[in-house]
Amino acid sequence: MEVKIDKRYELAVAPARAWAVLRDVKVVAGCMPGATITEQVDDKHYKGSVKVKVGPANASFAGDIEVLALDEAAMKLQLLGKGSDRAGSSASMDLTATVESGDAAGAAVLAGQAKVTVNGKFAQFGARMMVPVSEMLLAQFADNFRAATATAASESSATPAVPAKPNEISALAVLWGLIKGWIAGLFAKRA
Amino acid sequence: MNAPDRRAALEGVGDSRLRKEDARFIQGKGNYVDDMKLPGMLHMDIVRSPLAHARIKKIHKEAALAIPGVYAVLTADDLKPLKLHWMPTLAGDVAAVLADTKVHFQMQEVAVVIADDRYIAADAVEAVEVEYEELPAVIDPYKALEPGAPVLREDLAGKTEGAHGKREHHNHIFTWESGDKTATDAVFASAPVTAKEHIVYPRVHPCPLETCGCVASFDPVRGELTTYMTSQAPHIVRTVVSMLSGIPESKVRIVSPDIGGGFGNKVGVYPGYVCAIVASIVLGRPVKWVEDRIENISSTAFARDYHMDGEIAATREGRILGLRVNVIADHGAFDACADPSKFPAGMFHICSGSYDIRAAYCQVKGVYTNKATGGVAYRCSFRVTEAVYVIERLVDILAQQLGMDKAEIRAKNFIRKEQFPYKSPFGFEYDSGDYHRGLQKVLDACDYKGLRAEQTAKRADPNSPTLMGIGLVSFTEVMGAGPSKMCDILGVGMFDSCEIRVHPTGSAIARMGTISTGQGHQTTYAQIIATELGLPSELIQVEEGDTSTAPYGLGTYGSRSTPVAGAAIAMAARKIHAKARKIAANLLEVGESDLDWEIDRFKVKGDDARFKTMKDIAWAAYNQPPAGLEPGLEAVHYYDPPNFTFPFGIYLCVVDIDRGTGETKVRRFYALDDCGTRINPMIIEGQLHGGLTEGYAVAMGQQMPFDAQGNLLGNTLMDYFLPTAVETPKWETDHTVTPSPHHPIGAKGVAESPHVGSIPTFTSAVVDAFAHLGVRHMEMPHSAYRVWQQLQQSGVAL
Repeated sequence: MEVKIDKRYELAVAPARAWAVLRDVKVVAGCMPGATITEQVDDKHYKGSVKVKVGPANASFAGDIEVLALDEAAMKLQLLGKGSDRAGSSASMDLTATVESGDAAGAAVLAGQAKVTVNGKFAQFGARMMVPVSEMLLAQFADNFRAATATAASESSATPAVPAKPNEISALAVLWGLIKGWIAGLFAKRA
Repeated sequence: MNAPDRRAALEGVGDSRLRKEDARFIQGKGNYVDDMKLPGMLHMDIVRSPLAHARIKKIHKEAALAIPGVYAVLTADDLKPLKLHWMPTLAGDVAAVLADTKVHFQMQEVAVVIADDRYIAADAVEAVEVEYEELPAVIDPYKALEPGAPVLREDLAGKTEGAHGKREHHNHIFTWESGDKTATDAVFASAPVTAKEHIVYPRVHPCPLETCGCVASFDPVRGELTTYMTSQAPHIVRTVVSMLSGIPESKVRIVSPDIGGGFGNKVGVYPGYVCAIVASIVLGRPVKWVEDRIENISSTAFARDYHMDGEIAATREGRILGLRVNVIADHGAFDACADPSKFPAGMFHICSGSYDIRAAYCQVKGVYTNKATGGVAYRCSFRVTEAVYVIERLVDILAQQLGMDKAEIRAKNFIRKEQFPYKSPFGFEYDSGDYHRGLQKVLDACDYKGLRAEQTAKRADPNSPTLMGIGLVSFTEVMGAGPSKMCDILGVGMFDSCEIRVHPTGSAIARMGTISTGQGHQTTYAQIIATELGLPSELIQVEEGDTSTAPYGLGTYGSRSTPVAGAAIAMAARKIHAKARKIAANLLEVGESDLDWEIDRFKVKGDDARFKTMKDIAWAAYNQPPAGLEPGLEAVHYYDPPNFTFPFGIYLCVVDIDRGTGETKVRRFYALDDCGTRINPMIIEGQLHGGLTEGYAVAMGQQMPFDAQGNLLGNTLMDYFLPTAVETPKWETDHTVTPSPHHPIGAKGVAESPHVGSIPTFTSAVVDAFAHLGVRHMEMPHSAYRVWQQLQQSGVAL
């Protein structure tokens, strides 16, 4: 199962500030719901994990993150994340994220293109949910990212902090989010 | 009693006798594999691959073995010393029992866990950690044959000769052809009209209500292996198990108890069976394995997956001249198709159908992909469903191209009654048929002209909320595989068998090489004996499925029970009948030729008062046999059919398609079948209803969708369509009777006709609803979404 996602998120900080957050893989990974960096192998390779909770069942994806490109001039980061759970179900994400100037002065836009491939149980049972769930997770990522840039901006430190967040993806919470979004969508159409 | 009463009392052939099986089934007293509980029984569960194509780097068993109640975790490495990590398939290939260094399809068996109960086993399955290295998956059979396609079967490296001839590519299995290519090409080169269509028969799954499973029990003291198994062919399983394990066939006992539907799914030998048997031998305790629904749909034998390029040539007046079909057959990761050994595409060459076609040619190329194995006949004789689908679609398309009516083009090209026995361009000898009579009967019963007039009026009305479609199909099946000069499985000829023993007091037991999976054999087989021997059906017990008691037979599939085993019954009964005549002559003190047989007795010619009933004769057979004749009254017959049987039918379907939602409502479905002699009309009716419902399921919703990575996206009953009473249309059935001239009682077999015949009828009806908009063909399944897309495309959606 493969999904392609192309999203833009507006940020209320200057592009340089946003880039300072984006170029730090640990922080970027930390913004992803459920994800943690467990080990830095070298400056391009990291080990990490993602925890997913579906009702009573837990799945833990362990995997590798590779920085494919880090272009300071273009403010562009390209990552490849790959992981699998104990039984071998796998997921991978090929992500290109760019910081662009926003419309207003002092604002930026985080543009991301991702190709997410999921194999195994999650693909079999969750295929129909893949696009909305991915979008939902990315929206949470964007919120966390905004928070990270805001903290970094206020503390004006060189190293942005990893935001506090739940350390696993709760499928029920995601489902609830989707239902809320769907209902909101219904009313939005009527209006 | 007068003669008609005596005949009625037998409840013989032609009687709508109530099913003997139902009393136990409706009381919940059936005895299925999962009902088996043996002392000390352990449970097995299977670790399966989440990936479609990957190399296994390492399997970690420790965590699973540490769970209390877990006895063993077996992988391919554990089976290797026994040489059981691979097993032969019915199609002459090999299949991995447990994945050996590589997985070839999603949900493939990687390891098995044996534990005290099913729950511990399931927990232990979760605890087995498998490290994989993902490989690119090949899902599209056309891409599988591209020069640079990933190599799926590394175990076949360098093997250029397969079980069915030359292999031309690393993912190629066989190329099989039938008919006269040169003559057919010549016809196409000069034909005034030709039509062509790419027709896909999607991968579906038979999905019987009961999933597959077994209880294997090895007795280490006696060295005997007993296995209760969901098998449609227990004797073949016994032979295979004996060959694989080295245990003599006399010490292997396979028992098929009650089976909750087979439809081809339970013909093959699955890794789960083999592993449970190995586990029982290793641990010295009974081991039960029963799959769940997801495992059944994902990993056991699928059906179809034929990608067909069909071409038809004709005169401008609609006389069909030639037929050419080229097929790419997706067989999945291992070629485990259940076909007679010489026919890797089964009976696909019945694809000239009910029509008198001068020249025809077909070619089928089998291909490996990263999908589950199988390729079974899902409620049809080997690949007949695909064959009927392609010819019926092509005839419809040709009619449309010529502006001819569907009924007219069929009547014009039917093999005529007087042409039987008819030699088809593919070499079959059709035994008997009367297609014109059947067609006329259906057209009259449904007021075909009236339906067409109604359709014309609807098409003219732009405000009509529905599109009306009329489907018409005329099919010929080839059943009763088969004559052993043509048909064998693993070298065993496809005969079948019956052993009848008449007891001294006039009751009897019949033991058979077949096994009922719901067909009602206990009821109908007894009826054949009743008519042949004049003993009441009620007094005749039928036993099947236990290889220790039943004579060797090839099992139940391809509607072969009645054409082959049914014939064996009649022949065995006739041996008994011949002996009975001798005994009667002795008792009545006349010559054998002075006796006439009447219903249940031999009587002296011209003297109704002097007779001996079969009951009298049975007693005498044991207690006062004629001098020189051995006592007893029993016989065995192994029947090797001289030919296949060719049942046929004409089906008509009317659908109304909602222009707003794309939903297809079946307004009317009229099925006329001719299965030759009818043994039990009520059971035939039930078979037809079942087959039509399964046909409806396939045409309207069943499909196994795969994504590009080989994930099966529809392997639960939430996605896989099994119609209930809510969705199922009302069926109307009718029949003609054209007995088979070579079958002892003229019966041809029926259970599969409604499945084979109805599927193209639904497609024919749905496409017909769009025919006036220039649509020639639509791919199955005709789900509301797909039909709605067609409504959009044709610009008629509301």
